[in-house]
Amino acid sequence: MRRFGLVVLALALAAGCRTEPPARTGVRIVDDAGDTVTAALPVHRVVSLNPAVTELLFAIGAGGAVVGRTAWCDYPAAAAAVPSLGDGINPNLEAIVARKPDLVLLYTSGQNTDAVRRLAQLGIPALRFRTDSLSDVPRVAGVLGRLTGRQSGADSLSRAFAADLAGATTPPAPYRPTVFLLVWDQPPMTVGRGSFLTELLERAGTENLFADVASSSAPVSIEAVAARNPDVILALGAEPPAFLSRPEWQVVPAVRERRLVREEGSEFSRPSPRAPAAIRELRAALHEALQ
Amino acid sequence: MKRLGLLLLVPVSLVIGLWAGPVTFTPLELWDGLIHPYADAADIVRELRVPRVLLAFLVGGSLSIVGASLQALLRNPLADPYLLGLSGGAGLGAVLAIALNPDWPWAVPAAAFAGATGAVALVYRLSVVAGRRLDPRVLLLAGVVVGSFAGAIMTTVVSLSEAAELRRAFLWLLGGFGASSWRAVWVFSAYAALPLVLLFLSARSLDLLSLGEESAKHLGADVERNKRLVYIATSLLTAASVAVCGIVGFVGLVVPHAIRRLGTPMHRELLPAAFLAGGAFLVLADALARTVVRPLELPVGAVTAIVGVPLFALLLRRNYT
Repeated sequence: MRRFGLVVLALALAAGCRTEPPARTGVRIVDDAGDTVTAALPVHRVVSLNPAVTELLFAIGAGGAVVGRTAWCDYPAAAAAVPSLGDGINPNLEAIVARKPDLVLLYTSGQNTDAVRRLAQLGIPALRFRTDSLSDVPRVAGVLGRLTGRQSGADSLSRAFAADLAGATTPPAPYRPTVFLLVWDQPPMTVGRGSFLTELLERAGTENLFADVASSSAPVSIEAVAARNPDVILALGAEPPAFLSRPEWQVVPAVRERRLVREEGSEFSRPSPRAPAAIRELRAALHEALQ
Repeated sequence: MKRLGLLLLVPVSLVIGLWAGPVTFTPLELWDGLIHPYADAADIVRELRVPRVLLAFLVGGSLSIVGASLQALLRNPLADPYLLGLSGGAGLGAVLAIALNPDWPWAVPAAAFAGATGAVALVYRLSVVAGRRLDPRVLLLAGVVVGSFAGAIMTTVVSLSEAAELRRAFLWLLGGFGASSWRAVWVFSAYAALPLVLLFLSARSLDLLSLGEESAKHLGADVERNKRLVYIATSLLTAASVAVCGIVGFVGLVVPHAIRRLGTPMHRELLPAAFLAGGAFLVLADALARTVVRPLELPVGAVTAIVGVPLFALLLRRNYT
């Protein structure tokens, strides 16, 4: 009730009394899902249920405001000290409310719509952000800077990111080898156009073998892989993929000749300020595999 | 006439199965790839498509024989190869293997097989404990109960593991022949030969069993022995097919009924006919699964039901009008 009163007060203040601004003002924010939310800025207690957002909050210097995170928020190391509230999609509301946040940040998934609506009923503003591509890094960092009062941190992050990205993607590769991205083997699954990994591969001077596939996660047949004949196979995960020793995979020349690159780490699975480093790492590894 | 149709269906399905795929070959390229080991198409045709088609045929045939036999054994038209707890056990094994992710390329199929046979052993034990003889009704109950139990543990494991792993586990369970190889063909054929022969030899006792146990006994069948034999043979076949391709529904349930509708009620004819028809059906379903959305693949279990249900509805209609 108190929180609701605060929002009403903030709204009234924002609407009328411009001449005498209070310490905290209600500001209307439109998120990536198209919702308009009013929140008192700057926020001091943020629950971030999106690992990319958690990482950005720490990167712009607002890590101290993070009071809840997902189980996947593994970067930076300081994030581990924040209580984990589960896996972030369709979250547990009780766990969120218990952290007494004044803002909740989620991923733009349809599965989060209900959570946003119910949080609003409880008087807790919730925003959803799309974090799927490199361009989302400076864009979302800017919004987060405004929300947390860390504009300067966000601005310098965005400048550094742009410069770092430009440095990582030059000089352009002499030719563009094709890479088969193997995210799972039984059944073989890859990622298509529109996924962050495809963008990383393109920035690293290569081409996703299945860039023509629209879905971001797709089962493909070994036959299709063999026919398209990738230059390199990129496997994600902690261990080398054991199944590559299975007989049916030997039809793919890159498997037979072990032109295989393995990468692990969350910098390859979500857009972050670490993306330029990930691109450099990919370029070096792919170059070595193609020697 | 019907027999001729069935005999023709088999080579036609095999040819379509060989020809269909994400890569399109001309008939000449396909033939070259089949007979010359160094032709352009040889790798794909000889190493991927031929084993895949053979495996789909063998598994489809086995599942449909298993369905026919279980329908007679349990005297229940709804019986299918997975009814007696096998899918739950296999699923649990596969999910555990996916969650633990051991460094062995055959871990998931091996674990699925172990899970399925474990469930079978448990069901068998339960149904024999309940009475000295193997009561089909108790068997059915024990199967459903063990299946739900394994399914519940599987759901628990899945809900505690990563979201991506969950999707992968379900994709694997939905079935597919993406991981077919010659080795899988040899292992499956060597293994399936004995239970298949046993089931073919049980044709007469299945006829008697489907009349009811009392009548079967009066007609001189060693009912108890036959029941156990059929149960173990069907279970072993299903467990092997789960290890090869996950859970492919519909084939084992409906192909035997379709064959019966075509007028083959005696098991001596029903079983071989069901084997051929089931094999051809699964080969065609798999061909669809890998061409409809190429270069992506659909789970073959989804295709069997999407294509099979309208076909079966047609067949039902035809017989009633």
